[in-house]
Amino acid sequence: MTALLETRGITQRFSGLVANSDVSISVGRGEIVGLIGPNGAGKSTLFNLIAGVYTPSEGSIWFDGEDVTALPPAARCQRGIGRTFQVVKSFETMSVIDNVIVGALVRNTVMRDARRKAHEVLEFTGLGARAHVLASDLVPAEKRRLEVARALATEPKLLLLDEVLTGLTPTEAQTGVELVRRVRDTGVTVLMVEHVMEIVMPLVDRAIVLDLGKVLVEGKPSEIVRDPKVITAYLGDRHAVGA
Amino acid sequence: MDKDFANRRRRELITAAFFAALAAVVPLFVKDVYVQNIMVLTLMYAALSQAWNILSGYCGQISLGHALYFGLGAYTTALLFTKFGVLPWFGMLAGGVISAFIAMALGYPCFRLGGHYFSIATIVIAEIALVLFQNWDWAGAALGIDIPIRHDSWVTFQFTRSKLPYFYFALVLACIAWLVTWWLEDSKWGYWWRAVKDNPSAAESLGVDVFNSKMGAAAVSAFLTAIGGSFYAQFVSYIDPESVMGFQFSLLMALPAVLGGIGTLWGPVLGAVILIPLTELTRSYIGGSGRGVDLIVYGALIVLISLARPQGLVGLFSRQAKAVSR
Repeated sequence: MTALLETRGITQRFSGLVANSDVSISVGRGEIVGLIGPNGAGKSTLFNLIAGVYTPSEGSIWFDGEDVTALPPAARCQRGIGRTFQVVKSFETMSVIDNVIVGALVRNTVMRDARRKAHEVLEFTGLGARAHVLASDLVPAEKRRLEVARALATEPKLLLLDEVLTGLTPTEAQTGVELVRRVRDTGVTVLMVEHVMEIVMPLVDRAIVLDLGKVLVEGKPSEIVRDPKVITAYLGDRHAVGA
Repeated sequence: MDKDFANRRRRELITAAFFAALAAVVPLFVKDVYVQNIMVLTLMYAALSQAWNILSGYCGQISLGHALYFGLGAYTTALLFTKFGVLPWFGMLAGGVISAFIAMALGYPCFRLGGHYFSIATIVIAEIALVLFQNWDWAGAALGIDIPIRHDSWVTFQFTRSKLPYFYFALVLACIAWLVTWWLEDSKWGYWWRAVKDNPSAAESLGVDVFNSKMGAAAVSAFLTAIGGSFYAQFVSYIDPESVMGFQFSLLMALPAVLGGIGTLWGPVLGAVILIPLTELTRSYIGGSGRGVDLIVYGALIVLISLARPQGLVGLFSRQAKAVSR
């Protein structure tokens, strides 16, 4: 079986700055893959390239057997790529349920169906009780969950989670981890960018480490955390010696 | 949950029907022509502001050039009637369609502009159109067009002896504009528009076609605005560029919605009911020398509203909005 998502030799330059350089990764169906790396490693750029915010300077992106390199974000969403934003982008003047309905409209043309789907997703993500609250009135952890709910309402095959667990309390983060597992259990493939290692590592099946815009290593979480190259990238040369 | 929503929608419809019925019987008791005139204008601006609200309130693309579509509606009807003898009803439809297409043609480049730049572009375009019409000899140039009075009839949509037919037409127009908004609010377009207003990049990531959302909103908005312009041409039976395409119309269409509650179903109606009589009364009782005083009143109102209740007056009546303003 082919991979669900594949990037082939992606390079992205921003007026001279190379944010991604020859990045080739693949994500298999049903996997939870973590995309990690120090600040400025190019994780967000790669995410935005996969979601269609940018078109890569070089290379191609393949999703579900189709070349989607030139497609805009809305078209990729229709193909089955859902995403959240690192800095939450709720529709602030709309209620929680209305936020999710926007997503649900991708696969539902009848309003009643879209509304039902949105309620289902809110129950699934634990926001059911907050359906009629304005998005601007949610607390930060709820806003993160709304991001996930909205993306799930588009019924994606691949869900891109951009630091949804960052900045949460340990309890909230644990709820988030469980949510990600349940999402995967429904058959959705997950690619997540995350900073908090101790939370991500037990969750993901595989981790890809980016550093300076390149893939440094990839593999099982248990291997990654012991890899001298990873430790060097995160902590500097001095700390790698003892590894 | 679903039932609550359906009930709310039905309640809105019943409320609207109640107020429409109430408005319909008012002229039976109010015979004063001056007051009737104000009522016609109030209803017309309620309709116009509702139309403006679709593009600017729901979709968030603040237009300050809607006078263009108003004027196009007025001119299309008047020109078709005086030059070709086409009845105003067809002129009205033609004006609406032309305006919708022009709105999309202008939207094509302008919707690439963000935020304030879009608004500035709309002002400039409307002003250019004004100058073009002032210099277009075939269309009467600065002198305008006198619509010849034939006889009182619904066929030619002319009434010299009574304002009542205009009143009822304006009422129907306001109801149609309200109904269109009501219907669109719970449609894919309504959700797309609000998503585009709140956060275009998030909307895109959820499969929303941002550009075409704006184009759709512009077309519907311009169409309804032009119908209002056609009506106005028939109502005053004389038009010139300044009197149907002047900048003050762009403001007068925006202000009721802003005052009542931008991007809300009831905002434009509420705003028009307060603002238009106030304008007309200040104009006749205070502003002896004409323009100016009414604009000061607007200014004061807008300042008051933005200080005391930025979400518009409509919030005073809705529990949900009250909870929000907390």
